[in-house]
Amino acid sequence: MAYEALDFYDVDSLLSEEERMVRDMVRDWVDEEVIPNIENACREGLFPDEWRVALGEMGVLGAPLKGYGCPGLSYAAYGVICRELERGDSGLRSFASVQGSLAMYPIWDFGSEEQKNHYLPKMASGEWIGCFGLTEPDYGSNPGDMITKAEDKGDHYLINGAKMWITNGTIAEVAVVWAKLDGVIRGFIIEKNDPGFSAPEMKGKHSLKASVTSELVFQDCKIPKDRMLPGVKGLRGPFSCLNNARFGISWGALGSAQACFDSAKEYAMSRIQFNHPIASYQLVQNKLAWMLREITKGQLLAYHLAQKKDAGTWIPEHISLAKMNNVDIALEIARVARDIHGANGILDEYPIMRHMANLESVKTYEGTHDIHNLIIGRHITGIQAFTREA
Amino acid sequence: MMNFTIIAETNGENLHPTTYQLIGAASSIGSKSIVICPNGKAESEAASIEGVEKVISVVGDCFDIFDGGAWSTALNTVCEGKILISASPNGREIGARLAAKRNIPIIQDIVSISEGIIVKRPIYSGKAVETLTVSGDAVITLRPNAFEAAELGGAAPINTVNQSADIKISIQEAINKASERLDVTEADIIISGGRGMGTIENFSHLEDIADIVDAAVGASRAVVDEWGMPHRMQVGQTGKTVTPSLYIAVGISGAIQHLAGMRSSKYILAINKDPDAPIFGVADYGIVATWEEAIPALKSALSELKS
Amino acid sequence: MNIAVLLKQVPDTTAKIIISGGKVDENSVSKWSMSPYDEYALESGLQMKEKNGGALIAITCGPDRSKKMLTDAAAVGADTLVHISDEGVSDSTHVQQLLAAAIMKYEADVVLCGKQAADTNAGSTGPGVAEILEATCVTLVSEVNYTDGKYITMRPSNTGSEKVSTQGTSVFAFDKGTVELRRPNVRGIMMAKKKNIESITSSDLDVNLNNSNINLDSQMPPPEKAAGQKFEGAEHVSTVVSKLRNEANVI
Repeated sequence: MAYEALDFYDVDSLLSEEERMVRDMVRDWVDEEVIPNIENACREGLFPDEWRVALGEMGVLGAPLKGYGCPGLSYAAYGVICRELERGDSGLRSFASVQGSLAMYPIWDFGSEEQKNHYLPKMASGEWIGCFGLTEPDYGSNPGDMITKAEDKGDHYLINGAKMWITNGTIAEVAVVWAKLDGVIRGFIIEKNDPGFSAPEMKGKHSLKASVTSELVFQDCKIPKDRMLPGVKGLRGPFSCLNNARFGISWGALGSAQACFDSAKEYAMSRIQFNHPIASYQLVQNKLAWMLREITKGQLLAYHLAQKKDAGTWIPEHISLAKMNNVDIALEIARVARDIHGANGILDEYPIMRHMANLESVKTYEGTHDIHNLIIGRHITGIQAFTREA
Repeated sequence: MMNFTIIAETNGENLHPTTYQLIGAASSIGSKSIVICPNGKAESEAASIEGVEKVISVVGDCFDIFDGGAWSTALNTVCEGKILISASPNGREIGARLAAKRNIPIIQDIVSISEGIIVKRPIYSGKAVETLTVSGDAVITLRPNAFEAAELGGAAPINTVNQSADIKISIQEAINKASERLDVTEADIIISGGRGMGTIENFSHLEDIADIVDAAVGASRAVVDEWGMPHRMQVGQTGKTVTPSLYIAVGISGAIQHLAGMRSSKYILAINKDPDAPIFGVADYGIVATWEEAIPALKSALSELKS
Repeated sequence: MNIAVLLKQVPDTTAKIIISGGKVDENSVSKWSMSPYDEYALESGLQMKEKNGGALIAITCGPDRSKKMLTDAAAVGADTLVHISDEGVSDSTHVQQLLAAAIMKYEADVVLCGKQAADTNAGSTGPGVAEILEATCVTLVSEVNYTDGKYITMRPSNTGSEKVSTQGTSVFAFDKGTVELRRPNVRGIMMAKKKNIESITSSDLDVNLNNSNINLDSQMPPPEKAAGQKFEGAEHVSTVVSKLRNEANVI
């Protein structure tokens, strides 16, 4: 069944023809390959390898990066890709976000020419999966105090520490890991088979079940000297990656929201209670109207942010606002959609609970909802409120 | 009075029932039929139908195998005016060839004809109906079973014409095989079973029906999950969404998740022993009966129709 | 080898059709797509080109909106894109004349198309074009291979299927096949965007469109279905079966 997207203000008509073709390509793939298989993937708790292959073949990984075999698309196209993928599942979009914005991007922006030539073509084609290690068991919102460290041993670096909540970790060939070298945060490229490195999978998630989440463990992990990213020092490195990933999330969450809206609308039209479809009742219409309203606002926000991203006129706070808002409304829309579905809403026959549970993670990762509020609060007042120590 | 040229179609040595319908359609608007029998097949049968003024048997080697180009070249010499053909695959092809040869328009797959000549045909898979007026010569193909058949009762003269035309298609190899069971997303008719079928073994009775009408066999989620049937058979919210011309639901109560996958079918026949089953709410035809009673009856009625 | 593929843009088969003022309202169609059988023709054409070399010429006759479909065809590998304006076209014979003229202009050796388009479901184009080109036509094929100067294809027969061959200019009208349709990719889309669409008219093709003797009176929604009929007991099965044939016309 052809997917008819909710686009009340015709926002997609503002996209270029090329961007719309990319949208249709990903949309069709999600309809044909992802949606029929996602519940099974969730039940088995795995990320289907065919999806990696297909994303590589479509050529959407690292969408906005140019050169080195990367697609060279606009940020608007990258946003649309994220939206269409997340309409399938947030876990799928997470895979693409991590690959493109968190693993490929730092190599592309901060890597040496050799590093770029070595890693990027194979990552763009999907042959090598990448992951990104910043968060640690004890340092989430406060990555600056990370304890993972790198030591210069003359002819090699020695890495010790652990990272947690790492999407793609166990299946990755390449990990971009942030660690302190002489007290300064630097980026290092770790390869799957580096001695002293392991990436055990974290089990038991009730969210993002079709996505692999791992720990990265470094016990005297020895890597060659040419694996450090030469181009960046300090938190600016990981934060530039996160800005791009958060941008993708601001679009992606709309995909989840639209899937929930579509299901709720369809259900409300066909569910008969008290002799009439429940869609004919005012309370249900009120809910649907609210969903449409929030999705439409979110679409305008995401589209305009993409224009600013492509024009280079953005600031990180713009991205914080969009990520925070669009995930927040998507989660609330999922909850209201569940309500409209009644008891049926808890079944995996409908995508609602899956999106809802996924969005709980999305609300927290890549800067929690509250941290984004503090980023905007600091922007408004000029006063940082993250910590009591100045 | 106007005559129609009718191209007969045969089923083995006999006329296909659609040929009677073509003649019936011509008679319904007061016209006589000149029936052309490719290779002379069933010519005397054609001559004995009411409303037939003349039968022309076109005979030649060119009819040995089906090549629409050769057939239409041979038939064209005896065609005149307005031409009626069955909207079968071969009929459509010959019709299109004849129209192009004669530089006249073609209207395929009409479902009604009235004086004027005014015809109707479904478009967009039946989501709309188009009405057209034909003011000159044209080729018109008729949807099978949409028109009243003419009765026997005539004795038209038979002329035989020899024709030759080059066959440009050569058959390398005939492959005899039972047609494979269609997938639910492709089939024009689907027969689905639910928990009311009792056990998975009883699906063989649905398979029998499917064989007769070339249907796909589908299933509700309940039986796919509980009886381990292949997921590709599942119709419904998490299974396939289907829109066949006819959906036959046997022993399916009609949970909202099942309805979501099949309610857009053009016609729905529900067989269920519970007269209050929700499936009857979406069915065009409902039979309140157990499958044990209804399926054998359905089987014999359909076999009779297809024989 | 020049391979012409005839394509038609149609409302997506799942799209709602809305009638207004006795005509289908094209503006209300939510999604236009390449007609599904044409997709199989295109895929087969691309495979033929990959095996035998040559160029794939995608041709459509239709309004301006159908250019988008040509770009979609380019995204999966069509080399030349030809858009014939449908101005003055009032019946399928006109369409066939224009398509045939374009096929000759671009010197195609073989022509592939869908067995019918998903809007009218007529099926006249393939054989009609073949007639004008004086070409052989095989309909309902599922694959075509070119070897030793012959086209080999499979078509259904009374007993199953048969392998047939043709020589010289041939037209093949495709049914849904078992081949997997290729997906576009970003690289293809970026190249397609740069590809020129050659727009031509009936006068460019020296085709005079005569006055059609077919007049389109109206397009209307299908007649409302009657309310559901429920019968108690299996003895009514034969009644229902005859209704399925005579009322519903589905068996």
